[in-house]
Amino acid sequence: MLKFADYGIFSGGDLMGVKYEAVLWNRQKKSYDIILWGMIVGILLVFVVSQFLMHPLITLETLIIRATALTAFVLLHLILMIGPLARLDHRFLPLLYNRRHLGVSMFLIALVHGAFSIIQFHALGDVNPIVSVFTSNQNYQAISEFPFQILGFFALIILFLMAATSHDFWLKNLSPKIWKTLHISVYLAYALLIAHVATGALQYENHPAYWAILILGFASVTGLHFTAGFNDYKRLTKEKYAALEDGFVEVCTINEIQDDCAKTVFINGENIAIFKYDGNVSAVHNVCKHQMGPLGEGKIVDGCITCPWHGYQYLPQNGQAPAPFTETLHTYIVKVIGSKVWVHPTPKPEGTFIEPAKVEQT
Amino acid sequence: MERLISSLLQFVLVYLILGLVFTIAFMSKGLTVVDEGTKETSWKFKLLILPGMLVFWPLFALKWKRSLK
Ligand code: HEM
Ligand code: FES
Repeated sequence: MLKFADYGIFSGGDLMGVKYEAVLWNRQKKSYDIILWGMIVGILLVFVVSQFLMHPLITLETLIIRATALTAFVLLHLILMIGPLARLDHRFLPLLYNRRHLGVSMFLIALVHGAFSIIQFHALGDVNPIVSVFTSNQNYQAISEFPFQILGFFALIILFLMAATSHDFWLKNLSPKIWKTLHISVYLAYALLIAHVATGALQYENHPAYWAILILGFASVTGLHFTAGFNDYKRLTKEKYAALEDGFVEVCTINEIQDDCAKTVFINGENIAIFKYDGNVSAVHNVCKHQMGPLGEGKIVDGCITCPWHGYQYLPQNGQAPAPFTETLHTYIVKVIGSKVWVHPTPKPEGTFIEPAKVEQT
Repeated sequence: MERLISSLLQFVLVYLILGLVFTIAFMSKGLTVVDEGTKETSWKFKLLILPGMLVFWPLFALKWKRSLK
């Protein structure tokens, strides 16, 4: 669901359904995948042809190694740019929801590059090929002083872990927190790969144009991230000033309220309970209509604020007791700005419906 | 250095093989207990989560054990 859409490059729009599907392909996703693979084949072809033009005598292995490396590297750049692009302009959101397939495809192509490199450069001696990646440049004609393959190797491991855990099953079973941390490490993989290219291939193909392209790619990725970050910051600041002007008061951060519980505040003599439930935030008067019990110390049960004293219930959105009961509470307008909860301390007439504020995804 | 990396690699290999053995048993019995959402899923879904299982299997061993109690 939307809530997890920005958690990592392999996250997608698949629903957190009750039952898992291998891959949730609907029509929109199918056409996305067709375009995606068309694009991948296109990029591969461009690199194959350009390698042939530049090195007519190139061997098939080297051709595969280079074309897959460059294609995967280009795809990684696209993947990393989709996040900030979607934050800057919502028209990019469909790409964000489908990023998972792009990520897995990129890993598979990078895997071909890694596997062929290991076969080509490390499988000839009598040392185990993977061991040879680490014991470095002695077993083959060194193309660079620096053991840049190790950097590629670790990047590939990270990409593998992310691709392997891209299904929603993993989001649930690893817990969103661990899953998110794992998927944020794509930036580590990216840094490793920039170094892999700069200390590897660019040491012998050191035409300034290659350096320019590498730096341009890196600048695009970082530049977009900074622009999107700055944009968010500007938007939040604007919202904050507007809220202050309208008489809202900042109360706490969203994490200070436990799920299905409340935080209580006194503002201008108003006793307010602010509840968080199902990604929503709502505020009501903190005093129960029965015998003035502290509602904010109660929990949300079956979607209703439930008084800790004798169990009277009220809907958090409108302060009304569910039928057949008739008690009603004052409600308050709430806002979530970034990670902060704001409330307007002027009570609305008892039983007034207030649109719950949505917890923003971070 | 080479010896160290060789033994590390062997350790990883053993870990993955143990993972495979565990995963085969786990997928036929424990998976649906640990996560209800996996009931009635296809073999394709199981294949898809297999690579990750080989890495994170101790977590599922723990979850499985807890569910038995
Ligand atoms: C086991 C992991 C890896 C190994 C052993 C490895 C090895 C190599 C080698 C030997 C080269 C030089 C090839 C040549 O120019 O003839 C190279 C270049 C390159 N690698 Fe990797 N690599 C690995 C992982 C990766 C990954 C995960 C990526 C991600 C996209 C990547 C991207 C690149 C790029 C962009 C180049 C420059 C391509 C070119 O030479 O034109 N590598 N790698
Ligand atoms: S005071 Fe709230 S139920 Fe009695």
